Amino acid sequence: MTAGAEGLGEEAPALTYASVSGRTRRRLIFDRFIPWLLPLAFVVVLFPLFDMIFWVAQKAVPTFTLATLTETQVGFGGGLYSMILGTLVLIAIGTAIATGIGMAAGFYTAEYAPRPVATFGRLAGNILAGVPAIVLGYFGYYLLVLYTNWGFTTLAGGIVLGIFMTPYVYRTTDLALTSVPPTQREAALAMGARPRQYLLRIAFPIALPTVLTGIFFAMALGLGEAAPIVYTAGWSSTPITGLMQPTSFLTGAIWLFYDLPPSEGTLLTLAFQAAFLLILIVLGLNVIVQLLSDRFRRRLQGLFE
Amino acid sequence: MSAEGVPTPNGVALRVRHLYVRARDRTILTDISIDIPDKEVTAVIGPSGCGKTTFIRSLNRMTETTQGLTVQGSVLYRGQEIYSPSVAPVLVRQRIGMVFQRPTVFPISVYENVAFGLRLEHQPEDRIEQEVQHSLVRAGVWEEVKNDLDRPALSLSGGQQQRICIARALAVRPRILLMDEPTASLDPVSTQRVEATLEELSQEISIVMVTHSIAQAARASTRTAYLYQGRLIEEGSTEELFERPKQKLTEEYVTGRFG
Ligand SMILES: Nc1ncnc2c1ncn2[C@@H]1O[C@H](COP(=O)(O)OP(=O)(O)OP(=O)(O)O)[C@@H](O)[C@H]1O
Ligand SMILES: [Mg+2]
Repeated sequence: MTAGAEGLGEEAPALTYASVSGRTRRRLIFDRFIPWLLPLAFVVVLFPLFDMIFWVAQKAVPTFTLATLTETQVGFGGGLYSMILGTLVLIAIGTAIATGIGMAAGFYTAEYAPRPVATFGRLAGNILAGVPAIVLGYFGYYLLVLYTNWGFTTLAGGIVLGIFMTPYVYRTTDLALTSVPPTQREAALAMGARPRQYLLRIAFPIALPTVLTGIFFAMALGLGEAAPIVYTAGWSSTPITGLMQPTSFLTGAIWLFYDLPPSEGTLLTLAFQAAFLLILIVLGLNVIVQLLSDRFRRRLQGLFE
Repeated sequence: MSAEGVPTPNGVALRVRHLYVRARDRTILTDISIDIPDKEVTAVIGPSGCGKTTFIRSLNRMTETTQGLTVQGSVLYRGQEIYSPSVAPVLVRQRIGMVFQRPTVFPISVYENVAFGLRLEHQPEDRIEQEVQHSLVRAGVWEEVKNDLDRPALSLSGGQQQRICIARALAVRPRILLMDEPTASLDPVSTQRVEATLEELSQEISIVMVTHSIAQAARASTRTAYLYQGRLIEEGSTEELFERPKQKLTEEYVTGRFG
């Protein structure tokens, strides 16, 4: 109407929901709800998660004392000490192997490998990441337990865990390095830097937060695995004193104790306490990842524009 | 044909002869021969896609960092064939520096950016400190950043970042500086500063600058080369090329009647 008043001689522009009809209107209205769909999906997903954490905590916390952490399980009593020790040693070996091999392989495919080799490497990494953990367990059992005549050892468990974790470290390293803006590489090479100098001085510091995230992610996944370790590290309730002995570990406690008959209820409690502890550790790792990446992101602000 | 070992005359920084750059299925640069004079600013002009970037990248062996490009022909740098198999590309690039169209500072401090090339050469710290300051002064950005040397270079403005890049390239004392549209992302004030810097620098070193701006070529260069579809159509003193172009193509381009 005002349009007419301004002498443009046109109809009033259609700006309100009421002024359009049919499909256009339905679409416009639907668009307004889209931002709420994601939070809704979040709630649907997160509810069971919180429910589970609450359920585990409810069973674990009332009996959780310092002794749970420091005492060794004997018969139906004691704590998680030998399992915590075993898990720490296993994850340390696994992380060392996965970080070493995964990062080296990532550096290689991202910077040095001819294209077909890099493509093959990435494919191999994806396949390895997709191999079910239990298959790795059998593989480790035949190779590191039977073939080597070692029997069940912490070392074998750590190695298999390392193989399990490697593709995650490898993939994030490769991805982080290849997503460094190519202009950074150009600029470094134009300064007369050799590829290795570019990698170490420019690309790696840029990629580091992502690589660290990948390592912590691999650790969190490794901490949650039972199958590959059960077949290689066996089980032993006494705290290990060397790498060539079998060991107990936190996920093993959940796996072995959860199915026991109710008469052995104390062990069931230990299973819940082990689960509770694992949840705490994994949450802790996530918090560390978050804090680190926030700090690094601030440092790199403006680079990825 | 091969000019290897032939000494370049005084006053010639780079002697380019019969340079071809080919991609897999096409020829990007065809038979380029030109002398790049010492201690002058040479502008490289021409329509988009004519091969300006490829040309200056072939002058310090940056072409080979892109997969799929092959170079044929000769580029003599003070009597030495830079494409000779016995020449290390890394050493060529230390002497023939390059600045890109968009600022490419590293995500480290201003100081460490400028020190980058010196650290590659394992220079002592006091020498580095001296060179960093000197280069920032030469790049015309010292006054603006002298109190912020420890700041991340990425937090500076685009114009400041570009001058940090120029300082970074200057710090290793190149004899030749190749610049690919160095002011394309800068505002007029920063552009003016960079141009003033170039003029000063050309007292000591040779500069090759790609530019899309005819006006900039006229303002800031003493020599101009006009590329068209991968061929060098004309080159000569800027004044001459703009006022009395010998080729019709050149005339059409510099008078803006390009079509
Ligand atoms: N790596 C490559 N592989 C194949 N073709 C390429 C490659 N690099 C450049 N070209 C082609 O070569 C031609 C010249 O490119 P170049 O970047 O040198 O042009 P330019 O004159 O710098 O253009 P502009 O003014 O737009 O920057 C273009 O047609 C481009 O598509
Ligand atoms: Mg270009």
